[in-house]
Amino acid sequence: MKCAPFDYVRAASVDEVIRTLVGANGEGKILAGGQSLVPVLALRMARPSVLVDINRIPGLGTVTRDGSDVQVGTLTRHSVLAEQIHHPLLAEAARWIGHTAIRSRGTAGGSIAHADPSAELPVVAVGTGATVTMAGPGGTRSLPAGELFVSALTTSLAEDEMITSVRFPVPSRWGFAEFARRHGDFALVIAVVAEIEDSVRIALGGVGAIPVRAAAAEQVLANGGTAREAAAAASNEISPTADLHGSAPFRRAMAAEMVRRALAQAGVN
Amino acid sequence: MTATATDTAAAPHAEPIQATPSGSLGRSVRRKEDQRLVTGHGRYVSDFQLPRMQHVAFLRSPYGHARITSVNTSRAEQSGRRVFTGADFMHVVLRARSSLPSYVETDQPVLAHEKVRYQGEPVAAVVASDRYLAEDGLELVEVNYEPLPATVCAWVSPREPVHPEAADNVLLERVFETGSVDAAFGDAAVVVERDLVTNRHAGNPMECRAGVALWDPSDRKLTFWSGTQVPYIVRNMIAELLDLPEGNVRVVAPDVGGGFGVKSVLYPEDVALCLMARAMPNVPLKWVEDRAEHLAAATHARDHRYLIKAGFASDGTLLAVQADVTVNVGAYSVYPWTAGIEPLMAGGLLSGPYRLDNYRCAVRGVATNTAPAGPYRGVARPASVFAMETVLDAAARELGMTGVDVRRKNLILPEDIPYKMPSGLVDDSGHYVECLTKALDALGYDDFLAEQERRRGTDEPPIGIGFACYNELTGLGRAASAGPRMPFRTGHDACTVRVNPDGKVTVFSGVTSQGQGLETTMAQIVADGIGVDYDDVEVRIGDTDESLWGFGAFSSRQAVIGGGAAHRAAAAVKEKVLALAAGLLEVDAAALHIENGQIGVVGVPDPALSIAEVARVAYLESHRLPKGIEPGLEATKFYDPIRGVFAAGAQVAAIEVDRTTGEVRILKYVCVEDAGRAMHPQIVDGQIVGAIAQGIGGAMYEHLIYDDAGNLSTGTLLDYLMPTSAEIPEMTIEHVSHPAANPLGVRGVGEGGTLGPNAVLAGAVSDALGIQIDTLPITPSTIWKELQ
Repeated sequence: MKCAPFDYVRAASVDEVIRTLVGANGEGKILAGGQSLVPVLALRMARPSVLVDINRIPGLGTVTRDGSDVQVGTLTRHSVLAEQIHHPLLAEAARWIGHTAIRSRGTAGGSIAHADPSAELPVVAVGTGATVTMAGPGGTRSLPAGELFVSALTTSLAEDEMITSVRFPVPSRWGFAEFARRHGDFALVIAVVAEIEDSVRIALGGVGAIPVRAAAAEQVLANGGTAREAAAAASNEISPTADLHGSAPFRRAMAAEMVRRALAQAGVN
Repeated sequence: MTATATDTAAAPHAEPIQATPSGSLGRSVRRKEDQRLVTGHGRYVSDFQLPRMQHVAFLRSPYGHARITSVNTSRAEQSGRRVFTGADFMHVVLRARSSLPSYVETDQPVLAHEKVRYQGEPVAAVVASDRYLAEDGLELVEVNYEPLPATVCAWVSPREPVHPEAADNVLLERVFETGSVDAAFGDAAVVVERDLVTNRHAGNPMECRAGVALWDPSDRKLTFWSGTQVPYIVRNMIAELLDLPEGNVRVVAPDVGGGFGVKSVLYPEDVALCLMARAMPNVPLKWVEDRAEHLAAATHARDHRYLIKAGFASDGTLLAVQADVTVNVGAYSVYPWTAGIEPLMAGGLLSGPYRLDNYRCAVRGVATNTAPAGPYRGVARPASVFAMETVLDAAARELGMTGVDVRRKNLILPEDIPYKMPSGLVDDSGHYVECLTKALDALGYDDFLAEQERRRGTDEPPIGIGFACYNELTGLGRAASAGPRMPFRTGHDACTVRVNPDGKVTVFSGVTSQGQGLETTMAQIVADGIGVDYDDVEVRIGDTDESLWGFGAFSSRQAVIGGGAAHRAAAAVKEKVLALAAGLLEVDAAALHIENGQIGVVGVPDPALSIAEVARVAYLESHRLPKGIEPGLEATKFYDPIRGVFAAGAQVAAIEVDRTTGEVRILKYVCVEDAGRAMHPQIVDGQIVGAIAQGIGGAMYEHLIYDDAGNLSTGTLLDYLMPTSAEIPEMTIEHVSHPAANPLGVRGVGEGGTLGPNAVLAGAVSDALGIQIDTLPITPSTIWKELQ
């Protein structure tokens, strides 16, 4: 359980990160909080030739309110997200991430770039319709979170791009529910409910390769259906797979229950 | 470890005793080891740094079962690293021996050659200047395999035998039979029958296995610092395997970060490390197991199946038990305990603390292509107690009795003692009803029953109440440890007590500690045994060059056996102190007493002499030595209790279940145990709480799973779920105190806590939901499935 050899670059700026990634020809990896990357390195399941440490780059760890959105710098630690007051849904979601030590190191940008389908922040990003901004050799670009996630642990980020910030709309009403085997585990199922501009959005994590919108369930609510009907619709529109901790039917049932709980928390009946 | 004692001598019935009014026994004195352990100054093998030290990494089999067709080390050697393979150590094998008639002896190689028998088996070892470079070197060793069909389940026919000596994979089989089982079933009003499967666990101490081996060629001496629970057994076996005089082998177990049984085994990696060190003179070789290696290759346990049938009279009296127990013993018969360790314990203790005349139990240990199974805290009984309690609950339901009543009807009572269990073991306790009653009171049983009733028919989560009673066999003497018929008996330990020239005391004990506070316990015993202050006693343990002998930490034995030896050695030293003082004072020794290091004459208020003065005479002032008394102030004594000591225990809990998610919430968990005389109440409670926490982990979270090809699917702690503090409830621990018939009146408490949670939680969930729990662990998804 020791990493294979790699070169290490401590970048002083985003430009240096991009230059280093370009020079690594796809063999580079960004080290932010390291909470997912380092175990994978230790198991030799990832073998980057260059590790680019972004932790010392100034100005990437701030959370700011900007109109109806909250702008989260890529190096914002989960512990900071959990305590900020601008975006209560993000604060609640961050409290469900791992344990204190993990929250003190893990970062918002890192979690979203890692794209674990059972992680909290990607589901909040999809659920709120967040916008992800990334820097690359050609400058910066932005993408809706829903278009970032491609499959499990895979995003549409290019190998020489880096997330610099994520913009989360602040919902007028919200709910967050998670089912996990133990406190702090990656979730079996996460449900996020966010009312944005008078429409209720529902997103689910842990039920497929990427966080998904429960479009049918949202439609049920838009058509005046009840929360219970929406929860049933959500469990029908997903295609979860079985793993050691639960069968597909079990995950489907948990999805319905988590959607029900999140809607109840949001005050959607 | 397993036992079939037939000694039926009566145990005396001592009255409950009070804590020692003066002295340190019975009080939670400050633990001697905590100064260094709590402040981060523990001396763990994992932290060892020695000059010229090199690091070892093991290449492990990716296959569950495969023939090794070639091993090529040239690239790794060209890189400058030293490489060892199975071919280097073919002459050394680990062969766990037993003279039980059905036992099939098999060999375990130090490094696999010819074939690999489980995923994670060591195949080669690479030595480098640090662990990173050693692991890089593993990638340069080329091994070709020809995969063979793997068998991972012990109750399906093998596709390809694990060992040629056992075509059916059965390494051991034994039938326990007493009474007239068939006739008793004929008389039974109710017969319940269940097929129960328990889940495979890992021990997972916080510090994984660790070793540093150093061969000094100038005096032909091997030193092996090892995070072991059994340094003297390791010395004995390493000397034999390396063909060295035992005096040329020193094994040191300094601070060890948990053991739980998995470190009471001599592993191939241990032997490999010593053999490699011998091939690389003057170079300390270090190997520290990482968590992935631990989950794959340290011993596993608890992978059992019980086909159990029990017959009851209409009043609930247990008439007969018939069981067929299959234990998955993994790829090798674990050295030196043998593949019998779990099956024999299961057969010997299945009937637990219940009166039973008619018993037939076939047990077998079956080899599979999984990691070897070995001792793990509670050995077999968390599973066997689950089986026994499950049939009691099932019978109660059929008979319309409560779970409490059916247990009270059948528990061994104080007046039954000594009670010869159907397996031949002799129960010396009988205080089970007392434990159960006290536990129910502490739980608030009636209140939970009322609340359970109130919630019926509402939307609130249903409440369930579960019970387990158990008799934990501890401190096994030579008769009780005879069951597995191994070529050694683990009944005794030694202790040397030395009063130094300044009157302070050094204890050289054969016990070992993996965090249980044995330095403290031995110091308390010796301090009170002589009559000196606890603070004036220091204890040396874990170094085979310092102390004479001890079998180590297993079978909840050290408080009883190591403690007995310390007590006897202290008494012998005290006798000499008194004889010497009597000579100096020219009084009769019988007129003297010792308290707080001061020797007084009966009836005289002021002390006459201090132990320090006596010690000075013993070592430095031979001209003052009374006639006939040798210089020095030291004694060495052994102790063997001959039989075992049973510790009674009862655990009860109330839970509630979320019907939608299948989640179980423990509302209250109670344990009442009989530790006999609790020498250090806080340590006793710590042992019980820790053991229950481990038991809850096993009942609800921990599960090692192999796929059909022999791949371990739960190879990291991401998938092998250990309970954290968030999953473990506050517990209520209470005691009954019935001293055992040994010098200190103590009963072992190291393992008992693990025995209850499977049965308690399965019973409680069944009670809450009216479902059958036949397979462990109890998870939200399994409960949810049962409710659909």
